[in-house]
Amino acid sequence: MRPRLRSTLAGIGVVALLGVLPGPDRAAAQPKPIKIGEINSYSGVATVYTFPYKEGLAMATKEINDAGGVLGRPLEFIHRDDKLKPDEAVKAARELTLQDKVDFLAGCISSSVGLALSAYAKDAKVLYFATHCQTSRLTWDDGHRYVAHTTNNVNQYVRVAAKKAATLPIKKWANISPDYEYGHNMWEEFSTYLKKLKPDVEFVQLNWPKLGESDHSSYITALLQSGAEGLFSSVWGAQSIAFVKQARPFGLFEKMRLVAPSVGNPDELDPLGKEAPVGAIATPFAWYDAGLHKRHPKLEAWTKKYTEWATQKGLKDPQPKLGASWGYASAYIIAEAIKRAKSTDTEKVIGVLSEGFEMDFPWGKVVMRGCDQQALPPQWIGVVKLDAQGKPFATEIEETQGKEVARSCEEVKDLRAAAAAKQKK
Amino acid sequence: MLDALTSLFPWITNGPLIAVQVMSGLSVAMFLFLVSVGMSLIFGVTRIVNLAHGSFYMVGAYLMVTLVETLPQHQAMFWVALFVAPLGVGLLGGVIEVTLLRRIYHREPLLQLILTFGLILVIGTLVLIVWGPDNKSVARPDALAGSVRIFGQPFPSYYLLVLGLSPLVAIALWIVFYRTRWGMLIRAATVDREMLGALGVDVATLYTQVFIFGSWLAGLGGALSAPTVAVALGMDGDVLTTAFVVVVIGGLGSFAGSFISALLVGELQSFGILVFPAVSIVLLFAIMAVVLIVRPWGLLGRPEE
Amino acid sequence: MSSVRWLVALVVLLVLPLLLPSFLVVVLTEIAIVALFATAFNLLMGFGGMVSFGHAAYFALGAYAAALLVKQAAWPMPLALAASPFAAAAGALFFGFFIVRLTHTYFAMLSLAFAQIVFTVIFKWKGLTGGDDGILNLWPPPALKSPLAYCYFTLAVAGAGMLAMRAIVDSPFGYALRAIRENPRRARFIGVNVRRHQLFAFVLSGFFSGLAGGLFAFFNGSVFPDFAYLNKSFEPLVVVLLGGIQSFFGPLAGAVGFKILETFIARQWPVYWPLFLGSAVVLVVVALPQGFVGLLQRRSWRIRAAR
Repeated sequence: MRPRLRSTLAGIGVVALLGVLPGPDRAAAQPKPIKIGEINSYSGVATVYTFPYKEGLAMATKEINDAGGVLGRPLEFIHRDDKLKPDEAVKAARELTLQDKVDFLAGCISSSVGLALSAYAKDAKVLYFATHCQTSRLTWDDGHRYVAHTTNNVNQYVRVAAKKAATLPIKKWANISPDYEYGHNMWEEFSTYLKKLKPDVEFVQLNWPKLGESDHSSYITALLQSGAEGLFSSVWGAQSIAFVKQARPFGLFEKMRLVAPSVGNPDELDPLGKEAPVGAIATPFAWYDAGLHKRHPKLEAWTKKYTEWATQKGLKDPQPKLGASWGYASAYIIAEAIKRAKSTDTEKVIGVLSEGFEMDFPWGKVVMRGCDQQALPPQWIGVVKLDAQGKPFATEIEETQGKEVARSCEEVKDLRAAAAAKQKK
Repeated sequence: MLDALTSLFPWITNGPLIAVQVMSGLSVAMFLFLVSVGMSLIFGVTRIVNLAHGSFYMVGAYLMVTLVETLPQHQAMFWVALFVAPLGVGLLGGVIEVTLLRRIYHREPLLQLILTFGLILVIGTLVLIVWGPDNKSVARPDALAGSVRIFGQPFPSYYLLVLGLSPLVAIALWIVFYRTRWGMLIRAATVDREMLGALGVDVATLYTQVFIFGSWLAGLGGALSAPTVAVALGMDGDVLTTAFVVVVIGGLGSFAGSFISALLVGELQSFGILVFPAVSIVLLFAIMAVVLIVRPWGLLGRPEE
Repeated sequence: MSSVRWLVALVVLLVLPLLLPSFLVVVLTEIAIVALFATAFNLLMGFGGMVSFGHAAYFALGAYAAALLVKQAAWPMPLALAASPFAAAAGALFFGFFIVRLTHTYFAMLSLAFAQIVFTVIFKWKGLTGGDDGILNLWPPPALKSPLAYCYFTLAVAGAGMLAMRAIVDSPFGYALRAIRENPRRARFIGVNVRRHQLFAFVLSGFFSGLAGGLFAFFNGSVFPDFAYLNKSFEPLVVVLLGGIQSFFGPLAGAVGFKILETFIARQWPVYWPLFLGSAVVLVVVALPQGFVGLLQRRSWRIRAAR
């Protein structure tokens, strides 16, 4: 070998060795972090939800670590992007467990991603904390001990909406929901619970636009002819904004009362502005509501802290969205489960989860139920109104404890048995 | 027979409903035409299928949002924004054409396609970085925020704007292509660009102008539709697919084809949802499949070389 | 390639999985599946001159066939996997019959339309396919379960598939296909049945795409409708572009390159990954006149006839 080449290679070798060998003191001083592999959708259309969620998670993690961490060790979330695709999520899960050797898995916004991760977790015997996704199948129909859900599922807020709907003098209801699992799940929950509470209701028309539909005029004209007095809508996000904007000049909301869980949240109300559906019933996280602040004295300080944090992190809209509260709660719930287990051993933590526990948050008490490892946070119902400046907000907020409306443990057992029977055939 | 139809489709005897449905379909059609004619034009002249067309549309909508937000809060400013936003997109198109597309005209069509596909990813991420992930919207101008009555049924006034503007654009295009020298050059370029170059016409500049014009049309579509939808990430993909399908159904490079195809698709979608709600996801593609099986070059397209 | 090169490649493939850490073994498995899919796609595009925008349909048909056979008919996994390419080929035969009558953009768009129809059927037929819940818990039998075992299995199956495609490309059929790509009219004059050759190529391409889909189903442990969606159809296109259309092993090189880029860059900066990928694609097309591996000008194709 030529001399210069040899010495160059030697030099590279020395540098490489230095990098690989641990320094004498550094390794001993730092306690090993508890690693959680968090898989979610950090590119594309879901970012409107996952960016605030991530900041909520990050803020909680910093608080936890500043207070000494969990079992004396810092909590660390390693994030991966699932690009809204279940197969990407499973790939990331594999990578996190095999390569990064995470202690637990967490994440999801898309329900199919959540279900796929849950199936992987069950197979790999890794504990998975589902965070942002909403399907009730996660902990109910397809539930098992290796999955826990740190936020509410559709059942809880839809039932609260149905409860409110049952108090209205409306008998004829129509539906407009996106044609996929979530949309069907939402309508099913709403309609069955409403029927239970008010047996004389009638469902006159069901509309299933495709997910992400941009033009709803045909559905709107159909609804106008349906004779319905109330409309349940589970379209969300950009589709919800488009639907409301399109329906308004048709006079749809004069004809029927809108019950739309997601429309009370700022990510839909703010863009709508003065075109917001005044009078609509929604299930919002109204962080600004004076009544809520009175009931939960710690809420105002938390919203201030989060807004500062998010502004500092460069979020264009730093107000505390619902997702931010979910991220915040998820970090604390995971930390609490590990703390109570006094270990990061999967089986011990599952043991803690299956016993259940309660935690207090700035917005109320969250119950982690033991029989299904499902979180039951407080649920809110409100009405959309315009303020003096013409800016929409949610008001007349009523609070219900999640556990009052969630399906009981017996019902969950039945659901799981039914699902298992279907699998066996 | 009528009884059977009426029980299946209770709206079939509802004249006013049908009238409104036809009008809705028409406004959807006019809007589709606006969006797709730019793509058809670009292909007709440069033979490039501009997959970034949806991205231009999206930029047009986002520019509309920014302009409406930053301009003084006055009703007339909406129209100013509507005028300026497409110009911005035209400028973007021009820059892209000069710096990137010019280098690949002589390359394989597939590579040109891939390049415009790459542009989708680039523009999409840049939009996320500049405007952030949040949903946005533009309010309709007060004059057009309400509705008019058609056979007693309410019909949004804003759609009348689209219904009025698109045929104007179509007529303007016709005048430009068939009554101006520039239009004649463009038509010549679609037939034989080499000959045109041999005759001393600056074909390169012509291509740039056409691309700017096509991008401007896409931006106009985006700016015009901003008050009727949510301005959000992902709108580029939806529009691209729709525009592409409309253009292919009509026949690549045929403006009359795009117009007829837009009408067909608009009305079929409008009524299709009432007749076959289950297939709303795939209706557009089913129409395209049927058309292409029966007419391999679209409705009015010419067989390729 | 000379036999020594083949031997070296074989040895490398046999030894590599043992040397790599578990996670990279998983990446290697995925590369093999993507390479198989991309090579099948290139059979149609590079050698047949037909660009399809709807190849995800055959990938998905293979994946779902394998999934349903295991779940509904209780077939053992290897048998279900063996059947999956035939299901895909059947789909390719049916759709291809209509598609090959068209050319260029129309060909591409009709293939896309059929892919969207496949997607819709999978999505809506909840009773059979589970709709957007997908079919879960599709793990390979215990013998093949570990990442290492499944990696070797995939390398073997994908390798066999690629060898088969290589044989097809070098056969008289393959040369007739190339002739059709160059000049369909001339090919017709010398007696080649253009339509039948193109349809056969379409079916073969669909066959191996389905095999890739089946392998992926068990690799992933679940199948979802978005296996048939538009984004999946663009994957092989990008991979083939990066690797090279003309060369047989171009797609393989592209798959390796793409996956490595994705694994190390998309991971760190998920928000910026599309920006990076798009810029890379634009750069490759504009700035690299010869493209990546084996992307040659039209003239040299005829000179390289013997390869």
